[in-house]
Amino acid sequence: MIELKDICAIYEDEKEVLNNVSLHIKDGEFVSIIGPSGAGKSTLLRLMTREILPYQGQVVIDDVNIVDLPSNAVPLLRRKIGTIYQDFKLLSNKTAFENVAFAMEVCGIDEHEINGDVPKVLDIVGLSNKMNSFPHQMSGGEKQRLAIARALIHRPRIILADEPTGNLDMVNSYDVVKLLTKINELGTTVILATHNREVVNGIGKRVISMEKGKIIRDQIVNGKYVL
Amino acid sequence: MKGHFRRIFMAGWTNFKRNSYLSFGTTGVMVLVLMLFSGLMVVNFLSSTIVGSLEDKVDISVYFKNEASEVEIGEVKGQLENLNSVVRVEYVSQGQALSDFKERHAGDALIQESLAELGDNPLQASLNIKADDSSEYPAIVEFLEANKFRSLVDKINFYENEQVIKRVQSISSGMRNWGFLATVILSVVAVLVTFNTIRLTIYNQRQEIEIMRLVGGSNSHIKAPYLVEGGMYGILAGIITLFVFYPVVYFVSPKVESLIPGVSLIGYFVSNGFQYIFLVVFVGVLLGVASSFIAIRRFLKI
Repeated sequence: MIELKDICAIYEDEKEVLNNVSLHIKDGEFVSIIGPSGAGKSTLLRLMTREILPYQGQVVIDDVNIVDLPSNAVPLLRRKIGTIYQDFKLLSNKTAFENVAFAMEVCGIDEHEINGDVPKVLDIVGLSNKMNSFPHQMSGGEKQRLAIARALIHRPRIILADEPTGNLDMVNSYDVVKLLTKINELGTTVILATHNREVVNGIGKRVISMEKGKIIRDQIVNGKYVL
Repeated sequence: MKGHFRRIFMAGWTNFKRNSYLSFGTTGVMVLVLMLFSGLMVVNFLSSTIVGSLEDKVDISVYFKNEASEVEIGEVKGQLENLNSVVRVEYVSQGQALSDFKERHAGDALIQESLAELGDNPLQASLNIKADDSSEYPAIVEFLEANKFRSLVDKINFYENEQVIKRVQSISSGMRNWGFLATVILSVVAVLVTFNTIRLTIYNQRQEIEIMRLVGGSNSHIKAPYLVEGGMYGILAGIITLFVFYPVVYFVSPKVESLIPGVSLIGYFVSNGFQYIFLVVFVGVLLGVASSFIAIRRFLKI
């Protein structure tokens, strides 16, 4: 369960990006957050991984207010959440296998388990033939599938996807959304921030619309891209 | 635990290999820094040798009147030897002084003839005193002046040599102080150059570090491979420095020996080879690891 209570956040230029945002997401939900650029979608996700802190309000994940989390506990929080970004955020000097393995290594998982799990998850995202390729040797769609594999590897209960289709063509976007939907069907909470109308309308689940740092609409069932 | 260390080491090694251009550049800069350290060691060795040989030439002699007996001179010698500042006291009897003099001027017929004409021994018994530091001589002279056997002493040559001793002292302390200052300044410059080079290397990888943080890497997980990488720069730079330094010293050593007789650079660095190799590699590793440690800290605040 994720709950945001009266969140206000500003960036370094003191511009307010979130203004009194409150939100409740149940376990296993698929939530699309839509809105124009600068609406505060990415900021909302960054609050959940504690990349930034609000100046007011609470971010509660599994009954823990992560705003008060000591900094040495932040890596543990991030290991429970899988994150997918528009710019993939892959380690450029590591192979596909090593990129996924790194997420397991930081959890202290032993080599034997890593060697068993990484090929399986790369197979799920259709990258079993790219195991030893570096990110610069892969296409945009492959990079994003690799990022999804990395997000999935430690079986997180929450996946945060920030514009995952932003750099992809229609075919690859469809593949990525299909993967996210499948992951959600297996019980993982998925929060997708996007401004891709076709993607959102194709999913047909909860849709939250944002504008100027506020939630302006929350369609709980069969939501559509409406601003 | 063993697997954890192996993983850290392998991650550091992989980084080192895959960032070969950066690794090459950073190692190159560290080689220059370690060469500078080695150069400072050579300069320190040469200056301390020169200072040592200069100071070794400084001593004072106390000449006794002819009525002073050997027993009385022996007593003064004993008292001097008991002083902490005195390293050595050598007794030269009248006879010994004469035979030394004759030997020294064996080729000078005029002196030999003059001595023969005199018939009597004109030279005096003396004590040659060597202090562990030339600054101690005034205190030793003061001790002699206040001694109960002062009346037996004819002359202390300190007063004639005082200016020379002071000059040697000022050259020695000048070389020591300026040498120390130069070493400190150049060492600081070397450390800053290394630190800045490694900082640039890590700055180049700041996005990687940010990603590691975002996928849940703890500070120690992220830091450790970079520290290993820093250590590897140090080890490699140390080895390259040794391979360059010893042949250079080997070729330069005879030229130095022709300028400063009795000083063998290669001899010094071969006989102290183990310490030197350890020092160069240790300084390299320390510089690499410490610079990485400081440089990476600012990128771990995401």
